[in-house]
Amino acid sequence: MSASRDMLCDTARAVFAEAAAKGVAPVEEAGFGSLLVPEDQGGFGGDWCDANEVLQIAGVIVPELPVAEVIASEALQPAAMVSLMAGAMGQALALSIEHVNMRQQFGRPLGKFQAVQQSLAVMACEVRAVEAAAAALAVRLDVANLDPSVVGFEIAAAKLRANRAVGVVTSIAHQVHGAIGFTEEYDLHRVTIPLMRWRGTHGNDAHWAQILGRQVAGFGGRGLWEVMTARGA
Amino acid sequence: MQGFALYPFDPPGDIAALRADLRGWLTVNQPQDDVVARANCWASFDAGFSRALGAAGYVGMTLPARYGGGDRHLLERYVVIEELLAAGAPVGAHWIADRQTGPLILRYGSEAQRERYLPGIAKGELYACIGLSEPGAGSDLAAVRTTARETAEGWRINGQKIWTTGAHFSHIMLALVRTEEESERNAGLSQVLIDLDTPGITIRPIIDMAGHHDFNEVFFDDVLVPHGALVGERGQGWKQVTAELGLERSGPERYLSSHALLAALIDAAGPDPDPAVASLIGELTAEMWTLRQLSMSTAAKLAAGEDPMVEASVVKELGNAFEQDMPRRVQAIVDCAWEGSDDLARLLRALLIASPSFSLRGGTREIIRGIIARGLGLR
Ligand SMILES: Cc1cc2nc3c(=O)[nH]c(=O)nc-3n(C[C@H](O)[C@H](O)[C@H](O)COP(=O)(O)OP(=O)(O)OC[C@H]3O[C@@H](n4cnc5c(N)ncnc54)[C@H](O)[C@@H]3O)c2cc1C
Repeated sequence: MSASRDMLCDTARAVFAEAAAKGVAPVEEAGFGSLLVPEDQGGFGGDWCDANEVLQIAGVIVPELPVAEVIASEALQPAAMVSLMAGAMGQALALSIEHVNMRQQFGRPLGKFQAVQQSLAVMACEVRAVEAAAAALAVRLDVANLDPSVVGFEIAAAKLRANRAVGVVTSIAHQVHGAIGFTEEYDLHRVTIPLMRWRGTHGNDAHWAQILGRQVAGFGGRGLWEVMTARGA
Repeated sequence: MQGFALYPFDPPGDIAALRADLRGWLTVNQPQDDVVARANCWASFDAGFSRALGAAGYVGMTLPARYGGGDRHLLERYVVIEELLAAGAPVGAHWIADRQTGPLILRYGSEAQRERYLPGIAKGELYACIGLSEPGAGSDLAAVRTTARETAEGWRINGQKIWTTGAHFSHIMLALVRTEEESERNAGLSQVLIDLDTPGITIRPIIDMAGHHDFNEVFFDDVLVPHGALVGERGQGWKQVTAELGLERSGPERYLSSHALLAALIDAAGPDPDPAVASLIGELTAEMWTLRQLSMSTAAKLAAGEDPMVEASVVKELGNAFEQDMPRRVQAIVDCAWEGSDDLARLLRALLIASPSFSLRGGTREIIRGIIARGLGLR
């Protein structure tokens, strides 16, 4: 990651930590609204790869605040949501790993039981898939100068893939946590409830599956491969 | 395991031209045979096609020119194989030699071994098989019992391999054997290159549940191979095999084996599909697009000289699940007879029957998940 993106992420972490207590105002005051505004127009001049990192951090620290609305236009909200979801899923995984390494039953940490290891491996695959989708979508959006009309295919694919990961990720995270994960006090619900909500926000599975499916039907069987390879690498 | 960082996939050279040339070449040279052969096509044997592909420079691409290779970048080869798989080209004859045996000989082999084997591999004429599994050593590969004892004349090999794909048409086997007497588990193992026409080798077919002859049992009865048959370092077989499996697990074949079915589904659905079919096409496309990003990123990490063991396992796990799921989901919503003769019905039947093997070959689902769990710090 570039040095300026590292710095941006550090700033985001600090500002979002403050916002977690105070609401979205610190995010606006810190200027995240101009993250994507070009430098010659007085903005930060960031690209979507920057926004992806920042939104993933928001998905971890302040999933309940409207950070995506501060950063991105209405048309880019589905794309922003993929990054938020990737961040929140990464956090659900991190909390789960931490928990199973600490919690002991039958005289050993839960993480030493093969059944638990296999569940978390399944969850990790889903999380990596959504992180990859968010990152690939970001690269594509930057190539398209953030014009969502050119990136319809990738937005649909990435949001749909993220939606489909929600069930596996939230259910395994809660399962390995046991009752403590079901409490108000413990932090897991701070990411799992937003994930449940986001699956149906800015397009649920059926919405994007229809759009993508009809688009691909128009390409034809061979056409799908040709389009996919023409749109990157 | 760290969060996923996308490795930029940027091969050198004109990739659009590489794709276009290969597509053009395929329209002339790909046999227009049965559509079923286009599914799971890295198991489709066609010696003539492999030779033509080699002559056109699409085999052994990453091997150095002095061994007949193409001196091309790892990611240029990636582009070529994803095109071959998406087209359903019959690449089975040379597949293993090109994917793993050639690169492994280049990395660990002696100069004599490189000169002896690599030119044939790069021509698409010399085929290889992988001798790992034994009756008592499946997932527990460290239980390998086939021995090679050093004698004055060379190595004497005794024992048995099983499930060896392509042993019946291959020229060589890269086998994992126990070279150190009394050694246990993963210590004392070495890799040897065995010419399969050496006396004392018996190859017996095992017919799979689809009725195909792809894998075999291979028996070694006092088989004598020269001292120079040892590959790499004596006793380091385990380490070398692990590196080999990295090459084996992350490729585009882990999500493109069933591409012919997706293409047939799209064609059968036509430009105005009913909502259920459109929905399925959308979901499968989203999964495939994501898998392609993961697979390309893993290849780029490999090309950057890093070890993407965990990422490769993620690609295999998700790819296998995708490919096993696809025929089941197609069958659930598309009305087609089991004995139907149209492309879609025949592909569906073939892939439903082939798909149980996807999460067995190259490491079972449970073993792969164990590797991922280790990457998560749980083991
Ligand atoms: C089509 C095909 C082609 C193949 N080609 C080759 C080849 O070319 N060369 C070669 O050497 N081998 C080849 N194999 C063999 C393949 O590598 C083995 O099948 C595989 O390693 C599993 O071994 P096994 O079949 O003995 O199953 P087993 O090891 O007996 O496993 C059976 C089941 O038990 C599970 N299991 C085993 N151990 C554990 C554990 N510790 N924890 C949890 N679950 C466990 C497994 O995951 C699996 O579900 C091929 C297999 C197939 C199906």
